[in-house]
Amino acid sequence: MKKILIVIKNEIITLLSRPSFWLGALGLPLVGALIFAAVGAINNNASASQTVSQVFAGPQEMRPEGYVDLSGILQQIPESVPPGTFVAYPDEAAARLALESGEIAAFYLVPADFIESGEITYVRPDFNPLSSASGDQSDLFAWVLQVNLAGGDMLFANLVNGPLDVEQVSLAPVAAPDEDNPLAYWTPYAVTLLFYMLIISSASLLLSNISKEKENRIMEVLLTSVTPRQLLTGKIIGLGVVGLGQTLLWLGTSYVLLNISGRTFQLPSEILLPASFLTWGLVFFLLGYAVYASLMAGLGALAPNLREASQATFVVMLPLMIPLFFSSTVFMEDPHGPIATGLSLFPLSAPVAMMARLSSGGVTWWQPWLAALLLAGTAALIVRGVAGMFRAQSLLSGQGFNAKMYLKALVGRM
Amino acid sequence: MPAIELTHLIKTFGPVRAVDDVSFSVEQGELFGLLGPNGAGKTTAIRCMLDIFKPDSGSVAILGGAMSEAKKDKIGYMPEERGLYQDIPLDRCLAYLGTLKGLSQAEVRQRAEGYLERFDLAAHRHKKVKELSKGMQQKAQIIATLLHQPELLIVDEPFAGLDPVNTQMIKDLLREQRQQGVTLVLCSHQMHLVEELCDRIVLIDHGKVMIYGGLEEVRRRFSGNALIVHADGEIPALPGVERVEPVNGAVKLHLSAGAKPQEVLRALVAKDIPLDRFEIAMPTLDEIFIRVVQSTPQGQSTPKGQGEGGGA
Repeated sequence: MKKILIVIKNEIITLLSRPSFWLGALGLPLVGALIFAAVGAINNNASASQTVSQVFAGPQEMRPEGYVDLSGILQQIPESVPPGTFVAYPDEAAARLALESGEIAAFYLVPADFIESGEITYVRPDFNPLSSASGDQSDLFAWVLQVNLAGGDMLFANLVNGPLDVEQVSLAPVAAPDEDNPLAYWTPYAVTLLFYMLIISSASLLLSNISKEKENRIMEVLLTSVTPRQLLTGKIIGLGVVGLGQTLLWLGTSYVLLNISGRTFQLPSEILLPASFLTWGLVFFLLGYAVYASLMAGLGALAPNLREASQATFVVMLPLMIPLFFSSTVFMEDPHGPIATGLSLFPLSAPVAMMARLSSGGVTWWQPWLAALLLAGTAALIVRGVAGMFRAQSLLSGQGFNAKMYLKALVGRM
Repeated sequence: MPAIELTHLIKTFGPVRAVDDVSFSVEQGELFGLLGPNGAGKTTAIRCMLDIFKPDSGSVAILGGAMSEAKKDKIGYMPEERGLYQDIPLDRCLAYLGTLKGLSQAEVRQRAEGYLERFDLAAHRHKKVKELSKGMQQKAQIIATLLHQPELLIVDEPFAGLDPVNTQMIKDLLREQRQQGVTLVLCSHQMHLVEELCDRIVLIDHGKVMIYGGLEEVRRRFSGNALIVHADGEIPALPGVERVEPVNGAVKLHLSAGAKPQEVLRALVAKDIPLDRFEIAMPTLDEIFIRVVQSTPQGQSTPKGQGEGGGA
């Protein structure tokens, strides 16, 4: 046990004394804080998403827009629309003239067959792909059309617009966030990415660490003092502690630097995550780390160098990448469908997939427990398999290596 | 109680039997030479001794029994393939390796101080290991091996890459360790240094023990039937002498089977040949090494240099 502690201590000190570690650990929150500071300087009052779009698309101005109604549907402008927002023109030529003279920013051409075709032409002088045509005023014009189609009855138009006003009651252990909120919508994606990065970066440390020791030929000296298992245990724990520390450092420095930059990180109440999410986060990080760090350690033990290990790294990491591929579709659109549920229960993708689902809320209570149990069982099997290949003979060998050989060794067929 | 005792040790890697029924023992306090050509099985035998490899069969007794955690701290091993952490300062590297051998940080600091001074590395202690020259790294490796004051020291090619001054320093150090009662196993291809330092040797080739015993005894065994004679004048034909060969101002008399040196000496005296020196021709360890290695079937069929690579 004493020697394991010495290995743990050495791994932690060695990693913390590397400038590259601090560059990575502090660089990310620093870059984030700089971006927020720059954005804050551009628009101190606007929300982040508005400001970012302004950076690319230019500042928005509420200029009047025109319309030409050839269908005869637009009989009135609702009271809720500020006067002068929309100016009526008798024909397209008059509207174009007003557009060219700068009286209006754009105009809508409602054709005579609008009821049959449902098509409207939107004419504006410039082309800006990042400036959405469905901006505030287009939405407003849509509302004007909707009220007029409802015969001027605003209440009826409102009901047609959103007939289902559901108050959702969730029996799941976590609160379901508002799906209409864009930040809540993107949370599963962010969580998927965060957990993927955390597990990959921490586990990869183990591969590079062991490969380096083999290349430095220090392994034989170490093995006269410690057993391969003591070495493996010390490294997994030591580098895991640093990985966990780096996670806390990222969050901590982000918070501090964001405060310094004058923009506190305030999540809307819709996406506040419950305490159970953090607990599950810790469980799935630790179990995921145990699985992937062990797999990486096995790679390091068998491959003669980092270059030769790289081909197998992709194969090993693939299950963890799959939730990332699906993150923009499955986890954001249908977080409780069969694919998302399957990936969150499959042990090798569970650390990322289950956290993504938990962040979107509404996960049935037993599913995280089952996923954690399956993951723990898999972790135990993999640690055992890797411990078997973490032998002196493998560590001191310089023989060739490929992914097939690795998988055979993992199931004890070598 | 021998410091090391190998009994019928066998270790196989796939189809290759790296160590084939090897038995020898190293007595406490002696300086023992473990010799053999590259790929002979020396490193595998050492790894079995140190419990890095488990033998297929046979037994290893080290410091009086099986290897244990406590015994590991009493052994110092410097492998042929040198290895130190390249990206950390020398003093931290020594501290880690020293604490793994059971020393406290304070003990490491105190002992490293003396060795660093002695090996002219004190000024470089805060440098990263990769910034040190090859010779300096070699000396640093020796310090790491000695830091915990081992009872048993196994050094593989300790003179490789050293200049004559540092070679002398290491020779003195090994003798000093021996005087302090440390048991030493020396692996080296520099046979003149083995001859100079070792009490007994074992020579392994293709996994098998070829020679084992005291150095003088081995040399005598391989002396053949030959004499070196420094004489004033020509050597006449003598009974029992098959061939006369000039060697560095002397002559080497090759004796026929059954002929005894005393009979030749008597004949020389009887013929009134003035003698400056008369000695039994003892082969050097180099000659014995080459003769043994080339006498094996594999040695005869393998051109010199082929199959090198060590580590078997």
